[in-house]
Amino acid sequence: MSLSDWAENYPALLSGLWVSIRVTALALGIGMPLGLLLALSANSPKKVLRYVTIGVVEIGRGTPALVVLQIVYFGLPTVDVTFSSFFSAAIALALTTAAYTSEILRGGLQAVPSGEVEAASALGMVNRDTLRFIVIPQGVRVAIPPLMGFAVLIFQASSLAYTIALPELMSQAYSTGSSTFRYMSILGLAGLMYAAITIPASWLTGRAERRMARHL
Amino acid sequence: MTLPATRQSVAIELDSVVKRYGDHTVLDNVSLSVREGEVVAIIGPSGAGKSTLLRCINLLERPDSGRITVAGHAVDAGSEISNKELVAHRRVAGMVFQSFNLFPHLDVLRNISLAQERVLGRSRKDADKRSKELLDRVGLADKAAQYPSRCSGGQQQRIAIARALALEPKVMLFDEPTSALDPELGLEVLAVMRELADEGMTMVVVTHEMQFARDVSDHLVVMVDGAVLEEGPPEEIFSKPGHERTRRFLRAVLER
Ligand SMILES: Nc1ncnc2c1ncn2[C@@H]1O[C@H](COP(=O)(O)OP(=O)(O)O)[C@@H](O)[C@H]1O
Ligand SMILES: [Mg+2]
Repeated sequence: MSLSDWAENYPALLSGLWVSIRVTALALGIGMPLGLLLALSANSPKKVLRYVTIGVVEIGRGTPALVVLQIVYFGLPTVDVTFSSFFSAAIALALTTAAYTSEILRGGLQAVPSGEVEAASALGMVNRDTLRFIVIPQGVRVAIPPLMGFAVLIFQASSLAYTIALPELMSQAYSTGSSTFRYMSILGLAGLMYAAITIPASWLTGRAERRMARHL
Repeated sequence: MTLPATRQSVAIELDSVVKRYGDHTVLDNVSLSVREGEVVAIIGPSGAGKSTLLRCINLLERPDSGRITVAGHAVDAGSEISNKELVAHRRVAGMVFQSFNLFPHLDVLRNISLAQERVLGRSRKDADKRSKELLDRVGLADKAAQYPSRCSGGQQQRIAIARALALEPKVMLFDEPTSALDPELGLEVLAVMRELADEGMTMVVVTHEMQFARDVSDHLVVMVDGAVLEEGPPEEIFSKPGHERTRRFLRAVLER
C-alpha cells in the first residue's frame, strides 16, 4: 500500500465517486416523491387502495436491492424494455427507496396530531388542502432525520451497480485494482471516499435529529 | 331583551339525533333548539356525549338518525351529502376545541389566514388584513408573527377563536375551551367569549365553568348518559335542580 498508488489512481476513483453520487441523487429524487405517494395511499381511507399499497410496499421492502437491480438491467430487456446501466441503477434504487421511504414517511404523517386534522376539517378545509398545508409539511419534517439516514444507506447500496458494469466508485476501484494488483490500497482508497461522504452525512443526520427533538 | 320565541329565528335545531359507536349509544334521541343570538351552555359528567353532540352539529361526526339544521341548512342522517355541502355546513359553524389544535408549523397570522384563502377564496392580502383585525379583537395584535408554541395556552385558545371567527360563522361551538388552562389563563378566554356573546353571536358552550354558565348563558342544558336530563334558565337549574343526578353533578363540580 503506498501513497503513489493513490496519487496515480485517484482520478479514476473520483470519476467513479461522481457517478455514484449522481446515481444516488437521481434514485432519491425519483424514489422519495414516489415514497410520499405510497405513504399517502397507504394512509388512504379507501380500503382497497390502502391494502394494495401496503402489499406493494412489503414486496418492495422484502426484495433485496441487488435483485431489483438485476431484474431491471437483465430482466426487463427480455420483455423489450432496455435502459442504460446508469438508468437501470437509478430506477432500481429508486424503487427500493420508494418502498422504504414510504414507511418512514407514513410514520411521519401519522405523527401529525389528529386534532389538527379535525380543526382543519372544522374550518371547512377539504381533505386535499388539509394534506397539503397541514399534514404533509409536518409529516415530512418529522421524517427528515430518518430519511437522511436512509439516503446514506442508498449511497452505499449504489456500489451494487458494479454488477451491471456501471462505472461507479466500486467498479472503478475493482477494475483499477485488478489491472494493477494493488487491491488493498485501491479498495482502501475507495472505502475512504465512501466514508468521506457518509460520515459527514451521518453527522448531519444526528444534528437534524437533535434539532427535531428540540422543536417538538 | 326577550322577544317571543316565534319572532327569533332558529340557528341550530337538533331533531331526535342518535349517534352510536358500535352498540354503544352515545347520543340517545337528543333534540335541542338554539335561537339566533342565544348562548346555550351544556354541562354534564364526562362521557355524557357533550363533545359528540358538538361534533355532530358541524358534521365532524355523522349521526345515525335524526336531523341537524344549522342556519337553515338541514342534513338528515343517512342522506348523501356532497363535499361542497359539507364545507358550506362547517363554514357556518365555527368550532373551538379543548386542546386549541393550532397548526404549530405556521405562524399565528397564517393560522388564521389559511382557511380564509382556501375556503373563502380570499387573497392573501385580504385574509391577512382580516386576521390582523381579529387578532386585535382578541387582544393579541402583537403575536401575528409568533409561532403558537411561543404563546401561552390562553393566548393559543384566543388565537383559535380568532381562527374560527375568520370564516364568519353564524354559530360558534366551544368544547370545554378552558379545561386545559390554568384558571387565570381561562379567564382571558372567557372574557373574549363573553364579549362575543354580548355582540350577539349564537353560541353553544360545553363547559365546567359554572360561573360562566350562570352569568353568560341564556339557556342551560344538563346532559347525562347521552340524553338531555333537564334544561332551562341557568338560574333556575342552579338554584333548584329537577333531578338528583343534576344535584350530585353540580355538587361535585363546585367542590372541585
Ligand atoms: N370515536 C369514538 N369511538 C368510540 N367511542 C367513542 C368515540 N368518541 C366518543 N366515544 C364514547 O362516547 C361517549 C361520549 O363521549 P364524549 O362525547 O366525548 O363525552 P363528553 O364530551 O361528554 O365527555 C364516551 O363513552 C366515549 O367513550
Ligand atoms: Mg368532551
